[in-house]
Amino acid sequence: MGPLIHLVRKELLLLRRDWHALLLLFLMPTVFILIMSLALRGLFASHGRVVITYALLDQDRSPASQLLAGHLAGQAEFQRIDLAGDEARLQAAVRADQAQFLVRIPAGFGAALLRPQPQAVELSGAPSVEPTLLKLFDASLREAAARVYLKASLGSLARSMGDPSAADALDLDAVNALVASRSLYMGEQRLPSSVQQNVPAWLIFAMFFIAIPLSNTWVQERSHGTYARMLSLGVPRWKLLLGKLLPYLGVNLAQAACMLAVGVYLVPRLGGDALDLGDAPAALALMVLAVSFAAVSWGLLIANVVRTSEQATIFTGVGNLLLGLLGGVMVPLFVMPGWLQAIGRLTPVAWGLEGFLDVFLRRGGLAQVAPRAALLLAFGVAALGLAHSFFKRRSRG
Amino acid sequence: MIQAHNLSYQYASGGARALDALSLRVPQGSLYGLLGPNGSGKTTFLSLLAGVLPCPQGRLSVDGHDLGRAPAKAQAVSALVPQDLAFYPRLSVQENVDFFAGVMGYAGADARGRVDEALRLAALGHLRGQRAERCSGGLKRRLNIAIGLLNRPRLLLLDEPTVGIDPQSRRFILQSVQEIHAAGTTVVYTSHYMEEVQALCDTIGILDRGRLLAQGALKELLKAPRGGRKPKDLEGLFLELTHRALRD
Repeated sequence: MGPLIHLVRKELLLLRRDWHALLLLFLMPTVFILIMSLALRGLFASHGRVVITYALLDQDRSPASQLLAGHLAGQAEFQRIDLAGDEARLQAAVRADQAQFLVRIPAGFGAALLRPQPQAVELSGAPSVEPTLLKLFDASLREAAARVYLKASLGSLARSMGDPSAADALDLDAVNALVASRSLYMGEQRLPSSVQQNVPAWLIFAMFFIAIPLSNTWVQERSHGTYARMLSLGVPRWKLLLGKLLPYLGVNLAQAACMLAVGVYLVPRLGGDALDLGDAPAALALMVLAVSFAAVSWGLLIANVVRTSEQATIFTGVGNLLLGLLGGVMVPLFVMPGWLQAIGRLTPVAWGLEGFLDVFLRRGGLAQVAPRAALLLAFGVAALGLAHSFFKRRSRG
Repeated sequence: MIQAHNLSYQYASGGARALDALSLRVPQGSLYGLLGPNGSGKTTFLSLLAGVLPCPQGRLSVDGHDLGRAPAKAQAVSALVPQDLAFYPRLSVQENVDFFAGVMGYAGADARGRVDEALRLAALGHLRGQRAERCSGGLKRRLNIAIGLLNRPRLLLLDEPTVGIDPQSRRFILQSVQEIHAAGTTVVYTSHYMEEVQALCDTIGILDRGRLLAQGALKELLKAPRGGRKPKDLEGLFLELTHRALRD
């Protein structure tokens, strides 16, 4: 073990003096986590407790229009914004994102409700509203209009039957009991927040980014002849690999601790939600170790495949971006087409991300994350074995 | 000290053999100058001697230890000072020497004694705290040599130790090599500077295309007529044997 201690100590000393690498490894993912968690907060919030804002222009002021307005007001997720003015002014306000939607009930809506040519309620969405949200609000508005129409139709039918009060016996709210929906996230009625998704994603991305400084220092040491010198001193290749692997594993663990702390403490201070680490610390620790081992071994493999520092930077940089893209860091896997999802699920980044989400979102324990951790560890062992083989070949010219 | 018999080596990347049935003998206590044009096989031979490359064909031994069968024993008595500055620029002079002493397995007072001795021999004692990257070219070469002295080798392999340094530093390094040799260490010295080898070495070997073209004391080498005439100096002999055409 003698040389190994000195190899590890030397590596930590060199890392401490390499501010660029430390900035890349710690500051970059912190900034990513903060920006992505806060920037996508609204988007993720729309998947959790939905708050959709709308302005209402009732030009009809009939019992039917008031009933429609009442149905919208009764939706917990909808928040009416009181804006004064005519239609043009309200449209300008919605265009300026003061509300997400404008609902205009035209004059004559109630009177023409049961006629062949009804007066349609108009819905306008703000420019920033995503198509899915427009569809959601449109469906809710149609449901509210359907209730108004149904009430009016039944009233008309009851009157023609000579019993006007019969329509009142119908409880339209009873349809609410026909469908019950819930999220399986944490067994509660809420969905994961932006921070729950973004912290593990960017943490894994940062952990794999360690391949850049690692492969660069390895290539430099090789080209400076220090490895040849150490081989001449009888230091075996596996110790040289281990001497690089162990300190960088330590750096990865420090990165993980730092990024998780950012999610738990810093993001909420800046207005985001706090990261919930789940309730299986052993499973979380296993995932951090497994991802770290895979990432460092991946870096060592690249370092021993490439010939120059420039190649190392390009291979690791582009390779990590591709892994991040395919593995669901930048774009969640579920929004990709099936064939791309299938490819993405073959990447160690996806195994790591799903493992973290198992702990954070699905409240998984050791048993749940073990298969993904095993895949990552197997990937790390294979990469390390290949790295040793390439190292041996390269040092023999 | 060194026995090479029918030694051949070919790199995995292909090309001609770097060493082609090379046989030579370096006696204990000699200061052996190994000359050859670029790509002649000098560095390959030193790498084989240092155990960095395996010995696939032929036999090679250092101090009686066969490098094919017991490389660790041969490595224990030798030290390679590579042509590259094989240390860490971001570490200080002291940290570099401490690190390599630790990697070699020295600890405590023994390590401190060896580090002090190596730094004294390389005249680097006053620069212990200086980052290696801030040292001049000559200081870097001396640090490279100091690291090679840590295991008090019986065989010191110096691969072009005076490349790219000022005359003062070169003079100091040549004096140091003479002192190390005078203390009983066998030295194999490769260089492209003929006057260095001429002044320093008691035995000279000229290598080209992996084969030994000539070997012996300078006087003997110059005495023997080549192509009907006697070369006037080592450079003349070298060019006579390896021809004047460019190699790179």
